[in-house]
Amino acid sequence: MENPAGVRTGSEEGRPLADALTAVAGGDRAAMADLYQRTSSKLFGICLRLLGSEAEAEEALQETYVAVWRKAGLFDPAKASPITWLAILARNKAIDRLRVRKPGSNAGLEEAADVVDPGASALDVLEDAQESHRLSGCLDELDARTGQMIRAAFLDGATYPDLAGREGVPVGTMKSWIRRGLLRLRGCLEQ
Amino acid sequence: MSDDLDMKGEEIDLLAAEYALGIADDEGLARAGALLADDEDFRRGVARWSGRLAPLLEEVDSISPPPDLWTRIENAIGPRIIALAPEVSSNIHVLRRRVNLWRGYSAVATALAASLALFLVTRPSAEAPTQPSAGAPLVATMEAEGSPAKLVATFDPASRMLLVAPAAGLSAVAGRTHELWLIPADGKPRTMGLLEPGGARRVAIPPAMLAEIKADVTLALSVEPAGGSPTGQPTGPVVAAGKLVRA
Repeated sequence: MENPAGVRTGSEEGRPLADALTAVAGGDRAAMADLYQRTSSKLFGICLRLLGSEAEAEEALQETYVAVWRKAGLFDPAKASPITWLAILARNKAIDRLRVRKPGSNAGLEEAADVVDPGASALDVLEDAQESHRLSGCLDELDARTGQMIRAAFLDGATYPDLAGREGVPVGTMKSWIRRGLLRLRGCLEQ
Repeated sequence: MSDDLDMKGEEIDLLAAEYALGIADDEGLARAGALLADDEDFRRGVARWSGRLAPLLEEVDSISPPPDLWTRIENAIGPRIIALAPEVSSNIHVLRRRVNLWRGYSAVATALAASLALFLVTRPSAEAPTQPSAGAPLVATMEAEGSPAKLVATFDPASRMLLVAPAAGLSAVAGRTHELWLIPADGKPRTMGLLEPGGARRVAIPPAMLAEIKADVTLALSVEPAGGSPTGQPTGPVVAAGKLVRA
């Protein structure tokens, strides 16, 4: 049914997924059904983790696959593996929903997406195999708290105010912690 | 590169990181929106940070979505609109000829028309019918008051292809797209896909939708946000509409 290895796939499993995406770009509905069969559990897990509600995760998953159907032609196998591209797409759709849902917090990517065509930019993912390999180690090199907060932002959709409240510090302080953490992370990844 | 430029590059890459992380505040989002539109470095930065952080998603457990979700998605995606190569676009006269044939000899021409349908598509496609259904082609002239857009849509039952040829006034608007809708007797629009400006398009009608394409149903074209209607129903103004009638 789905790729048991998780997000990253070896070429053996990745190859057919890329082929399926190419076929989907050409309007092949059978390839679309196959792609859904093989990737929807992973993508639903991502949406559900971020949104916490089954109903909303279903909506986000539907939006994700409608976008896949329409924008599969933008997938570039030279830039990212198919499952990474799909996982980031699902995550961004879920984040969009999360931001719209929380009044008073950010209006979310949705607002920015209104200004530009999200098709061209927000779907762009550039992977570097070396960096991917190092991510876990580099996050561990940050102080434990900062590493945890970056994970919480990416995987659970935590915002600056959320994290500041959790740590009992002003939002401005949290911002500079995270920004410093991101710069150190980049430095470590690019070594 | 001067220190000033380095500082600016650093600031922009941090914003790209915050945007990819999904943590940018309102001010950051507004700036990111503007930069995404016209700053190649920023777009690349966001793509790189998305790629850098993506491995974190490995630790998320897979969970099977409810079994009926695929059906909902299948209904939501509609057919896909394929741009026709220019040489195929020019072959539309074959269809017009067929339509004329139908007008003249509708009773006699059934068999002939079914064979002529092969000219409509230059190569066999996955959706090519195995059992061509006989029937007259349907034609819709799509227009709307106050709109310069005009389209001619022709449905060929034998090949299950809907050909859409913009005749006038269909122009690109930044951040917006055109979505084609089928409005059957129940009045509930169903998406037929996105129509980017350009030449003629063909829409391969999926079998499940075939029964709904018949005389007196309406085809409509609405203006939607980039990526198509977020709701699955038309949200923007209808710039052209017309009923399918027997040719």
